[in-house]
Parts: sequence; structure tokens; C-alpha cells
Amino acid sequence: MSDIILGFCCNYTSSVDEDTLKKAGLVPDGLRIKRLPCTGKLEINTLLDAFEQGAEAVFVAGCQVDKCHNLSGSQRAAKRVGYAKKILEELGIDPARLEMFFVSRGETEPIVEAARHMSGVLSDAESIHR
Amino acid sequence: MIVAERKPMNEILDMISGVNRLLVLGCRGCVAVCSAGGDKEVDVIASALRLGRKKAGQQIEIDTDTLVRQCDPEYLEPLKERGKQFDAVLSTACGVGVNFIADRCPGVRVLPALNTTFYGANMSSGEWIELCAGCGSCVLHLTGGLCPVARCAKRLSNGPCGGSVGGRCEIDPNVPCVWQRIHDKLVEQKQDKLLKDITPIRDWTTAGHGGPRRRIREDLLP
Amino acid sequence: MIAGSNLEQVLRSGNFAVTGELGPPKSGDFEVVRKKARILKGHVDAVNITDCQTAIVRMSSLTAALLALSEGVEPVMQMTCRDRNRIGIQADILGASALGIKNLLCLTGDHQKFGNHPQAKGVFDMDSIQLLGMVKQMRDEKKFQCGEEIKSNEPELFLGAAANPFADPFEYRPIRLGKKVAAGANFIQTQIIYNVEKFAKFMEMVRDLGLHEKVFILAGVTPPKSLGMARYMKRFVPGLDVTDEVIDRLSDAKDQREEGINICVDIINQVKEIEGVSGVHVMAIEWEEAVPEIVKRSGLGPRPEPQGVEPRLVSPGAIEEAVERARHEIRDEFEKELDKARSEAQASRGLLIKEKESASAEIAGLRKELEDVKRSAVKGEAEIKRLTTELEEAKEELQKAGSLQVVAGEATGGPASISQTEFNQGAMTESISSGKLSLREQDALSSLNLGLKALQKVLGLSEDQFEALRRFLEAEFLLQLGQAAPPAPAAGMIPAPAEAPVASTPEEVRETETKKVAARQKDVINLVAKANVLLHKNNVEEALNLFKKALEIAPEDEKAIEGLNKAKALLAEKETGPAGTAEAIPSAEGLPPCPEEITPEEWSRKWVVRYVAMGNVRLMKGDSDGAMEAFKKALELDPGDEKAKEGLERAQAGKGIHVPEVSTEKAVAPGEKEEVPPAEVIPEEKEAREPEAAPPVEAITEKEEAEAPAPEEEKKEAEAPKPAPKVQLSGTPEHEGVGSLEVPVLEKETRSLVERAGSIPEDLYREPCSGSIKDVLIGDGEKAITVGGETTLPFHLFEGDMPNPPRVAFEVLDSRPEEWPDVLTRYFDDCLDDPVKWARKCVDEFNAKAICLSLISTDPNGADVPASDAAKIAKDVVDGVDVPVILWGCGNADKDTETLREVTSLIGNKKVCVGPLSDANYRTLGATAMAFQLPVVASTPIDVNLAKQLNILLENLGVSLNHILMDPSIGAVGYGLEYTYSVMERIRLAALTQQDEKLSAPIVVNLGREVWKAKECRLPSDILLGDQERRGVIMESITASTLLLAGGELMIMRHPKAVALTEALIEGMM
Repeated sequence: MSDIILGFCCNYTSSVDEDTLKKAGLVPDGLRIKRLPCTGKLEINTLLDAFEQGAEAVFVAGCQVDKCHNLSGSQRAAKRVGYAKKILEELGIDPARLEMFFVSRGETEPIVEAARHMSGVLSDAESIHR
Repeated sequence: MIVAERKPMNEILDMISGVNRLLVLGCRGCVAVCSAGGDKEVDVIASALRLGRKKAGQQIEIDTDTLVRQCDPEYLEPLKERGKQFDAVLSTACGVGVNFIADRCPGVRVLPALNTTFYGANMSSGEWIELCAGCGSCVLHLTGGLCPVARCAKRLSNGPCGGSVGGRCEIDPNVPCVWQRIHDKLVEQKQDKLLKDITPIRDWTTAGHGGPRRRIREDLLP
Repeated sequence: MIAGSNLEQVLRSGNFAVTGELGPPKSGDFEVVRKKARILKGHVDAVNITDCQTAIVRMSSLTAALLALSEGVEPVMQMTCRDRNRIGIQADILGASALGIKNLLCLTGDHQKFGNHPQAKGVFDMDSIQLLGMVKQMRDEKKFQCGEEIKSNEPELFLGAAANPFADPFEYRPIRLGKKVAAGANFIQTQIIYNVEKFAKFMEMVRDLGLHEKVFILAGVTPPKSLGMARYMKRFVPGLDVTDEVIDRLSDAKDQREEGINICVDIINQVKEIEGVSGVHVMAIEWEEAVPEIVKRSGLGPRPEPQGVEPRLVSPGAIEEAVERARHEIRDEFEKELDKARSEAQASRGLLIKEKESASAEIAGLRKELEDVKRSAVKGEAEIKRLTTELEEAKEELQKAGSLQVVAGEATGGPASISQTEFNQGAMTESISSGKLSLREQDALSSLNLGLKALQKVLGLSEDQFEALRRFLEAEFLLQLGQAAPPAPAAGMIPAPAEAPVASTPEEVRETETKKVAARQKDVINLVAKANVLLHKNNVEEALNLFKKALEIAPEDEKAIEGLNKAKALLAEKETGPAGTAEAIPSAEGLPPCPEEITPEEWSRKWVVRYVAMGNVRLMKGDSDGAMEAFKKALELDPGDEKAKEGLERAQAGKGIHVPEVSTEKAVAPGEKEEVPPAEVIPEEKEAREPEAAPPVEAITEKEEAEAPAPEEEKKEAEAPKPAPKVQLSGTPEHEGVGSLEVPVLEKETRSLVERAGSIPEDLYREPCSGSIKDVLIGDGEKAITVGGETTLPFHLFEGDMPNPPRVAFEVLDSRPEEWPDVLTRYFDDCLDDPVKWARKCVDEFNAKAICLSLISTDPNGADVPASDAAKIAKDVVDGVDVPVILWGCGNADKDTETLREVTSLIGNKKVCVGPLSDANYRTLGATAMAFQLPVVASTPIDVNLAKQLNILLENLGVSLNHILMDPSIGAVGYGLEYTYSVMERIRLAALTQQDEKLSAPIVVNLGREVWKAKECRLPSDILLGDQERRGVIMESITASTLLLAGGELMIMRHPKAVALTEALIEGMM
């Protein structure tokens, strides 16, 4: 079982690459992490495309609300995630497959938690990609 | 500007069932300004439809483009041929754009991606309100610049109804009573005589109740 | 006379008019209309027939009006603009007029949103005022709205309109009424009035406009049917002002309907007196029965005989029906008669019963007589027989009478039982208020009642509901009293110890006791807190004493007990030496306490993850036993964890390879691989002190490091950042990250390069420089330092001389640093608020060769301390240490000028170095420095040309290059170090190889501030990033060593260990 979970992290929230995390046995094998300069740069269609291109779950890990390097980047991301969730719902896709996390900078644990949470969401869900 | 909003994706998906090649066609006019049908929204709609189709296990080829406007003939010119390469063109313009494509591009099947809502303004980021009803016979000079036709739930012409309490409309406490505001404004501008005059019954033909409206300026005609 | 309607006639004759209201049914049932009409008939002059009131679909007002008219009740047909356009409205008006309707009330209509078809399209072709105008034009000008003539039979209608005195804007309402009058209203019916005062004010304004003389105004009234209805109207009907008085009257009333009628009558009597009010419009909504009573009680009955009320439309069936109705009426009357007769009969039967009673008494007498007769036995057979039959008869009668009495008893049963319950309730209330309850209980009960009242208001409960709730709670309360007796503390109260002394009242006692308890609790908390602090500081004995004290006061205090145990264990450990080794895996049972914000499950889960990670790392390092142990721990916490299972298997599989290392222990029980006991038994106490986030890799690195030779330590730190070593139980203060501040001496290269180069000709690698760096003297006396002076690139000792080694200055802030991480401040904890003490500590303890005092508090964007105050602090620091001092301003050119001038005026000729001078303030500061011959720092933003330019400017001003230190502005490693390096290198090359004298000033590198603001120095310790302090120290020393190689001569740094490392490096390289 390697459901693909795609995580969008900003430069500041994660300094660890997915391989290290996987090697340490901390995250599901299907995890892919895409690093962005700032989650505020994320477009709604990028999130939707991630699903279309094979992800079963997507999460965005941005800076903590008041600690964003670009002030409101992560808040912006959260709003877009909210809108994308709405579209998923309209498409009959469980919006829980997309989640926003505000994580403290540079720590590894929140990313691990986020990945595990998404993995949990998928545990008894059917694949979008039949 | 004309304010519109996206139709629910499932409705659009139903609309395009059987369509295998689709052009999502945006408009950089009003709908782009009100974040309903510009380049960004076109991308989102295209992505969502691809995902929706994929989920249903069906193929679809989606192309995207955005025109400067969909309500002027010169911009539609290239679409006349290009549109035929697609099973359908999903227009994210207002109803004007969709109609105009249907009028001017024979052989092109055009579908609406948006619900055209009203003429309004951007209150704050993400919020638009209706300010004009396009009734074709403006009375704003009598009402302190505030339109009772667009902004009063009963389109009253002669002052507030009995449901105006505390400056709020009885319909919804979040809606201000426009007549209270008209009253206050006219009093403030010492124009309160206007409040005593009876506004006669309206002629609604200008509002479209006399059939589709047309405007001619002879000097500009070809 | 306009239309000649009854209403018009009543009003014109000066009579006080009364109109009613009739809501058509939500069905096609004409009987409903007729029934309502019959109720109102004779009590009102006309009846309003509503037009789909509140936008709910009902029988049309025109139809219902006709039905009412056919009952002989004059209708006021209501007409709204919501559902019809001008075509429909005019059509209906023509029809209404044709069928004898003479009154029309013109309304805009309630918005469809409120009705049962909110999705409907609201027409609103016109508003009520325009409607009035249109109908008036039809009537008076015989023209349709479009202007076309009405050839004959124009509608003759008496026109009404509505007015709401309670809507906003209040001051505009009479004006709008005026518009209605001008548009054609003949009479006005107002919104329901409860607030008579406001209505009177409204009428005053109406009279001021003279409208009361142009229009008949009927005041709208409605008897509130119930408290609920009144509340609903108050809350949910916009523009309806229901006063609190009305609500109160209803909620206090026994019979709400009766009170509702009274309220209505009172309002009628009040509005009747207001000038300009010509009548009342009684809207008894779905309560038509109330109208006759209201009219009667307010003295408005009987109404004048109606005139001109004639239905024009009578269907053929109507006559038949009328006959039928008459028949019904007669039958009703007959039945009434019959009932009367029946009740009379009943009454006479009662009389009969009484007679029978007397008869039975008589019989009893007779029986007695009979007995007498029997006893005397003188009477004859016949006589006896007659008497016996008589007796039988009497008996029968008696039985009949008896059964009747039973019936009567049943009939009175209902009320009797009610009074019984009432009595019971009374008794309960009495028992509550009587002496049976203590004062406190009564208090509680009354507050309960108050709370309930509030609840009732908030929830809008009806009286009955509220009563029920109250009774229920009271009962519950009493029940609990009974159960919890005798001391019966209420939930949430602190248990009151012992019985109160007799002298004071129970309340007082409770209060003082509560206070005492609270004080005691406070003491305990204080003691425990103090003890914990001591424990943390390793003062175990003291802590133990404090915990004991705390327990003396509160033997039950869990925190204290826990602390005591911890302290005891620590003490024991201290005595026996540290138990256990560095191998410190928290055992499954003894996980550190779960933090509050997460659930125990999550906590346990976290530890499973940690253990698994720990195991994996150990496995990677070849430590199978360690790994096995970690995996087992994980499995203890979560036996189902796949990763842990898998890891355990791998560990077990890989174990064979590493057997030699562990064979001594394992050899004992080779067959019991599954049940290998943990290699080390870790005492519980140690667990408890384990730092919460103890990363799992520590054990291994610790061991390895202990074996590693000292010079390699640095490398190791860089490669495998490792977390805190164990807490040291004795000796110097604990440093979790870097351990001792001691730095081993760097091994020096003793052979010269020529020697090492062997046969390579010297001129191949030797490139001596032609230029030289100026030397700058900072400070006074023995400890003064000279920086610069070299004739070669940094440390190229084989090419030239470097007479003065680069120096390191400790940075001291003039106020408590706000953003320094804990790993930095911990070294200066005792002196952060005292710059002098701080500087001294740097000199005395950390052997600082120079001090850089950063005057951060002067920043206008920060604390903005006045220049004079900062200058005093600076003077104290300069006086307080014997090493050279660099005074570094806040970076605001103007403020720095001010501050540094103040300083120089205070310290006089002491050779303090001042900076930073920028292109914005070099003139003023340069002049000051020149006056006192002070060395200055010329600061430019990472640019060779700018640096040179500033030097030229300063020189032009007269400042000697021997007094200038260049600050090229630097970036820490990871934050632009390479760029800094490049700029510095170019400056140095220019000075040395191109003899660019203007760039030959020594370079000062203020790097501590840059390094410690990097996020890598602030992030907490983490599995992957390693220990925070080591991270910071490494970053600072790497930045320093790199920039030393680029030409830095005076390094300003922060961390003592980083300084020590840097100095060791300089030492080793010279």
C-alpha cells in the first residue's frame, strides 16, 4: 500500500527531505514533499492538479499564522485550501483529503504528524484513481 | 461591473457530459475583476473538471484560453474557427459573453460556467454588492444617489415600508434599509423636500419589461 | 360621501368607528369565512379582509370579502402590490366594485420572503402610495392608470392606507402619512399599538401637519392571545413595539386571555382620548371571539345599525342555503329551548331527590313505628302487608337517589383534585420557606429561583413550562438535601472542616474556614513550587525539606508527594553515584508525564514513533541490542505497530553479526532471545527527570564521544549534532549543549612551509604582498590591543608578517536582550540586566580581550533610551573593565551621533572605539572622534567601493586612517557568508597587492548578532537538527573562522564556547 500523499511545504516549515523522513521510518512510504518558496504562492488549481495527477491526499504545511516569513502567506494558503476543499466537495471527493497545517518552523515532528494524519484519512477510503 | 459567480462543479460536469474536447474560455472583463471568470478561474475550473472526469473514470481533453472581452465582436473573431475544434466551449464570461458567442459563432456549442448575478461593486476583497438594477430610468437624483430599485427589497419609490427598524431591512438584519439612508442623506443635504413629493408610478418598459432593449447612437452607426 | 360604505357613514357621522379583521382560510372552505364573519357581525362597522397576509397563500381577499358581504358584514378589501401588477390590480378592483365592495385598503404588502413561497417573484409594480393614486384616478377621474377612460361604472371605493408609527425613521412617518393622504387615502389604519406614548407623539406630529382633519385615523389594536404571542410579536415582527408592561401584565396574569382582552380595552380607552383618532381597528388574529367582548368592555357597543351593506351577488343556491341556515338557526334555538327545559327538569329532579330524602326519613320513622307495631304485635296482617310494600317502594326510590349522588360526586371530582394538587404545591413551597431548611439552603433555593427566572426570560418559556421546570428543580434540590444530609456541602464547595463554633453564625465560619483553606493551599503551592525550583537547581536536600513542610500542611497534596519522592530518589542517587548509564530509554510504563495539550494515547503514539526511530538509528549504527530494546519498548506501548515489529525482526536477524560485542551478557541465556532482559535497568527517578523531548540518538553518540580523542570532538559535533548530555549532578552549572567551555589547544604545525614543501621552489608558491595594513590601537594601558599591521594575506606567515593576531571581543548589550535564545543567555543569567557586571564577567570568567557594548536600547524604534542615560551606562562599562571597549550604536545615524557624542564627553581621552559611522553621520561623529583621537568603525553595506569612499570621506575630514576600522557588514553562514567573504577578500587584496591605501584599514567583523538571529540558532533541539546550543556555537565559530581567513581582524562574538574555539584556532594558526 503506498497511497500517494503529497505535501506542499514552504521553505521555512520544512528543512528535511522526504527520504530522510522515510528512512527514519517516520512517515508513510507514499509521501512526496514539494517545497515552495512560500505556501502563499500555492494556486487553487495546483492543489486540484495534484489530485488529478495521482495524489490520494494532499496537505499544505505553512508557517504558523503569526510567524509566516511573508507575513500572511500561510493564511492565504489556508483560504485557498478552504476554497479547493469546497470544489472537491462539489466534485464528490471527500474534502478531508485536503488539509492545511500550520506548523512551527524547521521542526520535523509537525510534518510527520501531518503526513500521518493524511495517511489516517486514507486508511479506509476508496481511491480516487480507479 | 457585472458580477457573476461560478456554477457548482457538479452542475458543470453534468453540462459537459459526453464532451471529449472542451475549451474553457475566460474573459478579462468584469468577470476577471470580480474573480469569477478570469485567467486564474479558468485554470481552476479546468483543473477541477479534469479531476472530476478522472474520478468518474472518463477521459477529457481540456484546453484553456482567455479573451480580452467576450462582448466585442473583434475578440470573438478567432473563436469562430477555433471553437469548431472542440465539442463545446465553456465560457466563463457573464451571460452577455455566452450569448454573444452563440450569436456570432455558428457551429460552436457554447456553455455557461457562471451564474451572472448583478451589477455591483467590490465592497471589500471577496465581497460584492448589488448597486444598480439597470432599470433604464434613473431616479438617483431624487434619492441622494442611492437606488431604491436595486437596493430596496420591495423596490419602493415613496419611502420606507413599515418594516424598517433601526436602519435595517426587515428582510435581513444584515441588509441596510436603503430608504433610511436616503432619508438621512436627503435631510443632511437639505433636500428633504424630495421626501414629501410623491414619486409617480414607474414605467418599467425601460427595465426590460418592454422586451429586449437596444440602444442606438446614430452618429456612431456604420 | 365618496363610496357610501357603512364605514364611511359611521366616520362621517362623527361616530367612533370600529373595524375588525378577518383572515381568509388556507383552503377553499367558505364556511370558515362565514363563521368568522358571523362572530364579528354587529360588533364592528366593517371588517378588513386580508390579502395573503404575511405572504402566505390564502383564499383571495376579493373572494373572502364577497363571502363576508353575503353574511351582511361590510368588508374592507385589502389589496397588496406584491402579487399583481397594475393590470391584475385594476381588474380585481373593477370586479370588487361590481360586486358591492366599497372599501379598499391599499398596501405594498409583506415581502414574499416571510411567507410560504419565498422563491416567488415579488411583483411590486408600484408601491402603496402609487396604488392609492391609481385607484383615486380610477374613481375620481374615471381613468385607468394608463390614462384610458373608464366609460362607465368606475369603481366607487372608500380608500384606506396603513401607517406604522413604530417603524423608522420615526420623524418621517407622519410625512409619509401625508403622502398617502395626498395620494388619495380617506382613512388610515395604523400598525398595532402597544406603546401608546409613542403613538401619542406620532399623532401630535400628524396634527401638526393638519392631517387629522384630512383623513380618518383608526388606531390599530390587538388583544394578545397569550404571553407567547406577545413575545413573538415583540421579537420577530419588525416595526411592532410591544412594551415590557404588556409582557409583564401577561406573565403575571392568571388567565392570559382575559388579561389580553383587558390590555386591549385599556389601550382602546387611551387612544380614544387622543385628538385625531377617529376609531379603532381591532385585529384579533385568529381570535375573532374576543372582538365582541372587547367592543363591549370598551363601551363601544352597540354599533350603529349598518347601512348600505347589501350583497349584489346571490347565487341560486344561496337562497336555499339561507333557508337551510334559517332552519339551522331555528333548530339551534329549539335546542336551546330544549336545553333550558332539560336543565329545568334537572332542577326539578333535584327537588324530587330532596323530597325523597325526606320520604326516606319518613320511612325510617315508619320503620320505627313498624318495629313498635311488631313489638306490640297489635296490628293486623293487612296493615303489615301494606306497610311492607310501602317499604319496598321506598327502598327502590332510595337506591335511585343514591346512584344520582354518585354522579354528582364524579362531576365535582375534577376541581377537587386540582385543589388538592394546589394544596400540595402550597405545602411544598411552605416547607421550603419554613424553618425546615437552613439559611444557606434557603439562599441556594432563592438563587436557584432567580436563575430560573432569568432562564425563563432567555428561553421565552411559557408560564406553565417555567412552573414545571421550577417545581422539578425544587423537588430535586430537596431530594438532594435529604440524601446529602447532614453536612451536605453543595457541589463545588470546599468541604468545610469540623463543626462551626457556636458563637459565630454558620456563614461566618464557612467564610473564615474557606479563607484558611485557601491560604493553606497557597502556602502549599508556594512551597512545592520553591522546592521544584530547588530540585531543578540540584539542591536536593533543601527541596526535600520544603516538600516535607508542604506535606505537613497538606498531607494529601499530590504534587508535594510526587516531588518528595523525586527528591528522595535523587538524594539516594547522589549518594550512590549516578545510577544507570547514558543509555536512557524511557521504559514503556514510565513515559514522561503526558503534556496537557495532548491525550495520553497521542503521547504514547509519539513515543512509539520515537522508539521506532531510535531503533532504526541504532540498527544503522550496528547496535542490534540497542535497537532491539528500542523496538521492544515501542511494542510494549503498541503491540500492533508494524514498523516496530519489522524493526525488531531486523534487529534480531542482524544480531548474529554483532554478537562479539554483547556476548558476555547474552551467552548466559542463548536460547532466550525473545525474552532478553533490557541491558540496563533504569531507575524510575531518572526517567522522571528525563527532558521531555530527549532525542533517541543520544546514547550512542555519547558513548562514542567518550572514546573519541579530544581534537576530533569538533568534527564530531559538526557531523552528528547530538543532544544534551546527562545532567551533571555536581560541579559546574549544567550546559546541555556544549559541555565544558574548555577548548583543547590546536596542534601547531611546527615545521615551516619551506620544510614541508620540500623540493618545490619557494617562488612557485610564495607571492609576497607589497602593501600593508594600518594598525589601530584600541584601549589604554596594559590591556590595550593593536589590530592590523600585517603585510600579508591572513595567516600567510610564509609570505609576510602578521604582528598582531586577530582579536575577539565579547558583545555586551546595554539592556536585557529580548531575542537571545536561552542557550546564549544562560551564561549571563546573573548579569543580563547589569552591563557592567556582564562585561566584567566576560573579562573575568571568559577571559575576554575586548568588549563590544551594543547600545541597542537607544534605538528610536525600540526602547528609545535617552542618549544621556545610555552614555552613563557606557561610561560605567568603560570604567568597569580594563580591556578595550568598542561602543556600538543602535544603527540609527542621528541617534548614534547624539549618543556617541554624549559618551565621548563623559569618557574624555580614553581610547574607546566608537561606531558605526555611516555616510549619514560620519561628519559629526568623525569630528568628535577626531577631537578625542578615538578610533572609529566605518560601516558600509557590503561593498568595496562604498567602503573605500567612506574612508576617503573620513580622511578628507581629517580622520587618520590609523584610527579607522572598517565594518564591511557581514552575513552569517547560510545568510550570505560567501558574499561577505568575497567583499572582504577583495578589500584585503586591494590593500595588499594593489597598495590601495584607502582600503588598508583593519576590518572589524560584528558577527555574533548576525549568527544568533538566524533561525537555525533559535529552533529548539530536534531529532534531525540536533542540539540547539551546539548548532549555534558551530554556526558562530564557523562564521568567525571563515571571516578570519577573509581578513577579519577584530571579531565581535557572543557565545563563550564559540569565542574559545575561535581563539584556539587563531592561536593554532599563528
